[in-house]
Amino acid sequence: MKMKKSSTVILTIVAIVIAVYTLFPFFLVLLNSTKKATDIVANPVSFAGSSISQLMENINKVVTNSNFNFWAAFGTSAVITVVSLALLALFGGMAAWVICRNKTKWSTVIYMTFIASMIIPFQVVMLALISTFRDVGNFIGIKMLQSIPGIVFAYCGFGGAMTVFILTGFIKGIPYELEEAAAIDGCSPEGTFFRIIFPLLKPVITTVTILNGMWIWNDYLLPSLMLGQNGPVKTLPVAVQAFVGSYVKQWDLILTAALLAILPMIILFIFAQKQIINGMVEGAIK
Amino acid sequence: MASISFKNVTKMYEGAKTAVVPNLNLEIADKEFIILVGPSGCGKSTTLRMIAGLETITSGELYIGDRLVNNIPPKDRDIAMVFQNYALYPHMTVYNNIAFGLQLRKVDKAEIDRRVHEAAKILDLDHLLQRKPKQLSGGQRQRVALGRAMVRDPAVFLLDEPLSNLDAKLRTSMRSEITRLHRRLDTTFVYVTHDQTEAMTMGDRIVVMKDGIIQQYDTPQVLYDTPDNLFVAGFIGSPQMNFLDAQIEEKGGKLYAVVEGEGTSRILIPDAKVNALKPYVGKTVILGVRPEHFMADEKLTADNGLRVKVDFRELLGAEYNLYVFSGENKVIVKMPSTEKLPEGEEITIAVNTPLMHFFDKETEKAIVH
Repeated sequence: MKMKKSSTVILTIVAIVIAVYTLFPFFLVLLNSTKKATDIVANPVSFAGSSISQLMENINKVVTNSNFNFWAAFGTSAVITVVSLALLALFGGMAAWVICRNKTKWSTVIYMTFIASMIIPFQVVMLALISTFRDVGNFIGIKMLQSIPGIVFAYCGFGGAMTVFILTGFIKGIPYELEEAAAIDGCSPEGTFFRIIFPLLKPVITTVTILNGMWIWNDYLLPSLMLGQNGPVKTLPVAVQAFVGSYVKQWDLILTAALLAILPMIILFIFAQKQIINGMVEGAIK
Repeated sequence: MASISFKNVTKMYEGAKTAVVPNLNLEIADKEFIILVGPSGCGKSTTLRMIAGLETITSGELYIGDRLVNNIPPKDRDIAMVFQNYALYPHMTVYNNIAFGLQLRKVDKAEIDRRVHEAAKILDLDHLLQRKPKQLSGGQRQRVALGRAMVRDPAVFLLDEPLSNLDAKLRTSMRSEITRLHRRLDTTFVYVTHDQTEAMTMGDRIVVMKDGIIQQYDTPQVLYDTPDNLFVAGFIGSPQMNFLDAQIEEKGGKLYAVVEGEGTSRILIPDAKVNALKPYVGKTVILGVRPEHFMADEKLTADNGLRVKVDFRELLGAEYNLYVFSGENKVIVKMPSTEKLPEGEEITIAVNTPLMHFFDKETEKAIVH
């Protein structure tokens, strides 16, 4: 009994340390977005100069800044994230279903290719990616760089492997008899996917949507390469660059813009917390 | 019309060396309740799935009614199927589960509603229509699966071990419900099970299968009274038939089955069986006696006794199963619980000789019943 109690205390301490370690950067962003640039530079962990009115002033400056163009960047980020997530869920689900149910030598090879692609770091492919996208864009006549369709296509590729991997594991647990029952009831293969399989994927799609969503929304490197720092289309993390000059960094505005950028994710987490955790647990055991 | 006809049907899986179902010929009449029974891996489920169109046919022809259905997809075969694990759509309510097939066939909404409520009423599901499958018990889920098949009004009803996930009590009650359903729907039922009790109690005719080959296809009574071979004799009946090696001896113009076990037991073979067994005089055959075909002490005569050693008994209420040994052979004897047969002692029990079965030891085929 005593041992159990002491191990609980140790676990609690470890959990607190991890929580502090994880939340500290967020705390710094939150704290310093309520301060003036001079106060931030003087001492970034001090509460001196911090006030709600300063936060409001900073927000106002960020939102109305013509270089930053907050609402356009927000809209671009939202469109890219939502469309990428929808396509990932749809095509990831289809691919996982076919890989699971059509057991051939080729389906195994394709599945293994998906898995293998997960271990290749993005930095290895990023330069080749840009030139390939430029060439492909020129070839098919659709602008792939500095365009929303181009980056959505890239996200579908980079997110596809993990999506297929997680969904395949889940689909394996769905009894095949459901599909046979649907076939007898009169469903076509497409009908079986959309009417039976896809609705059953809801919990695990929630999980992959959260994982992919956080990554796509917050991603800086891929959009900065594909959309460019000065291109016509910018996501929120790329647009924050507007406050970074060669000689002057407007830390108050940078951090306030960062706060505004992560806010939708935090709000989403607060409202969908229960479903996210359910989805993760269900995905893990099925 | 929904008769089913297998003509030289073979099913072989890709890469396999032997066929799961080799050259099957089977005629199922319209409105019949047929049971496919046999041990695991005997090909009964594969046969059912071929009717459903869920398995392709390697060679041969399969007809439903007059229509060759080899290449017709499941949805166009006018069949409905109940699966062992129910296969209810978890994200749909009971109502939508039952209505799904009709909705896909674009049946009028009012008609769907009428049929769903009618099926729900018959299956006592009317108060559960808005629930999801996970909120139902095993028996209720099974009834939803039946309802889903019923509303389609199919020409053939296929059931793949539908009761094996239920507890013993529920299985007994569902058994009678399915039999009643067959009478009400008056359509062809093909039912797969490995449980011989279900086979005996439900079917008009039973197909006993082993290694993909039909061992016997007849009514439950015929299968019980006159099994074609050792496998059918052992499979039908519970507890199963006892088998003992017996030498056929002729003495004074009469034939005897001589069993060497606890000493030598000499059992007189009734006149009706003598002709069939004459060619076996001096040879060893297999004597089959059902546990219920042993008799109480007062019926014991000098010519019908089998000497055995009592091992233990299992009380079932009105009767008990007596486990005895005849030499090294285990024998089960059914006796009324009023009979007092002491455990551990050697006794002689009476055999109901007109009900003895004899099988050829080499071919395992029945010689005479």
